[in-house]
Amino acid sequence: MIIVEGVTKVYSKNSVALRDISLHINAGEFVSIIGQSGSGKTTFTKLLIAEETPTKGKIKIGDWDITNIKTDEIPYLRRQIGMIFQDYKLLPQKTVYENVAFALEVAGEKSKRIAQIVPQLLEIVGLSDRHNRYPQQLSGGEQQRVAIARSLAHRPKIIVADEPTGNLDTINAEEIIQILKKINEFGTTVLLLTHNREVVNALHRRVITLHGGNIVLDQEAGKYIL
Amino acid sequence: MTSLKRILKFAFQDIGRNFGLSFMTVLILILMVLSVNALWGVEAITKEAVATVKDQVNVSVYFSANANDDNVNELKKYVSSFPEVVNVDLLSADSVLDSFKQRHKLSKDILDALAELDTNPFGPTMIIKTKEPSDYQKIIQALNVPEYQTLIEAKSFDEHETALDKIQNITNNAEKMVAGLVLLFGCISFLIVFNTIRAAIHTQKVEIGIKRLVGASNWFIRGPYIVESLIFSVLSMAISIGIIYLALHFIDPYLSVIFSDGFSLTKYYNSHILYLFGSQFVCVLVLTVVSSILAMRRQLKV
Repeated sequence: MIIVEGVTKVYSKNSVALRDISLHINAGEFVSIIGQSGSGKTTFTKLLIAEETPTKGKIKIGDWDITNIKTDEIPYLRRQIGMIFQDYKLLPQKTVYENVAFALEVAGEKSKRIAQIVPQLLEIVGLSDRHNRYPQQLSGGEQQRVAIARSLAHRPKIIVADEPTGNLDTINAEEIIQILKKINEFGTTVLLLTHNREVVNALHRRVITLHGGNIVLDQEAGKYIL
Repeated sequence: MTSLKRILKFAFQDIGRNFGLSFMTVLILILMVLSVNALWGVEAITKEAVATVKDQVNVSVYFSANANDDNVNELKKYVSSFPEVVNVDLLSADSVLDSFKQRHKLSKDILDALAELDTNPFGPTMIIKTKEPSDYQKIIQALNVPEYQTLIEAKSFDEHETALDKIQNITNNAEKMVAGLVLLFGCISFLIVFNTIRAAIHTQKVEIGIKRLVGASNWFIRGPYIVESLIFSVLSMAISIGIIYLALHFIDPYLSVIFSDGFSLTKYYNSHILYLFGSQFVCVLVLTVVSSILAMRRQLKV
């Protein structure tokens, strides 16, 4: 469960990213967070992974109050939140297998265990036969699937997908959404930050609309309304 | 243990991937170490040269021919009592005459003139060595007493005094210059190495960002760069030591011509090996590690 209580983020006097927002996201939910550029979506993501700290308010993930999280606890938080980005953020000099294994390696996972987990993750995203390829040898959709596999490496309770379909055509975008839905079916909370109207409307899941740093709409089985 | 292995693996991977920058970093470190060693070598040679000159300097007291053994021994005893004096050698009148004849064996005129004399025109000679050249003045003054004036015909120190002052002056200035140059090279090297490492880390900004996103601890991110610093330091010192000894192999034959007492830079380096290379390794390591930590500080901001 993600609990956000009265969170405000002020960068400067003229730059207020979030204004006193409160929301509850239950474990296992699939929530789309929509809004125009500058609405506060990215700031919200940064607060969730403790890249930023709120100016005011409280954020809890499960029973963990991350509002004033200690620096040395941040890596452990990030292992519980899988991040997916529009630009995939893959390491070009590593193969598909190595990119996924990398997330486990930096966490100190044993090599034997990595050798077991990585093929399973590649199986989930349908890239078992591409494990030796480099990112530049893959299509955009395939690269995003590698990023998804990597985000699942720590078996996170939450997946935050920031515009995962932004660089993809309709078919690949649909494939990515299907994978996210599959992950959600396994019980993982999915937060989808997107501009893609078709994707949001097709999902029929909860939609939170941000505008000017405020939550202006929070609909169960909602639609893209802006 | 697994993390340590991975830190080592990532460090070697980074070096391989950024081979150009790694090569530049090691090259600059080698140039720095070689520059410092060149200055140290010059200093060692200067010191040895001064020591050799100092060793050759002494006060020769030439006794008049009428000075007898008692007079000479008394004066020797008197001079030896000074704590500054380390050695007093006496040459008898006969050995001075023999030495003179030997020196002028090719000058028939001189030898003929000597043969015309019935007696040995030379008196004994006393050669005094002191701890420091500055001590000679005191000995000379001590000999300038009326009771010895009739016994001493000449004293030879005055001729060396100016030369010694000059050498002392040059040595002091050379030491200051070497210290200044070492400091200057240190500062320049620090800036170059710092910027080279910063550039290397900047090229991996994306990778560092991804490591942070997937939950790597700061030490796991920092570790490979610290290991790289260690590798750069070991590599640059090892190559520098190789180059230094190779250079000494070519320089030493020239030094052996100048210094007859067997001084060589190889011997000097061998006898100071731990101090010279140990202190340089520590300096290089501190330089590279501090540069890495400073360069990473920005990238590691949470």
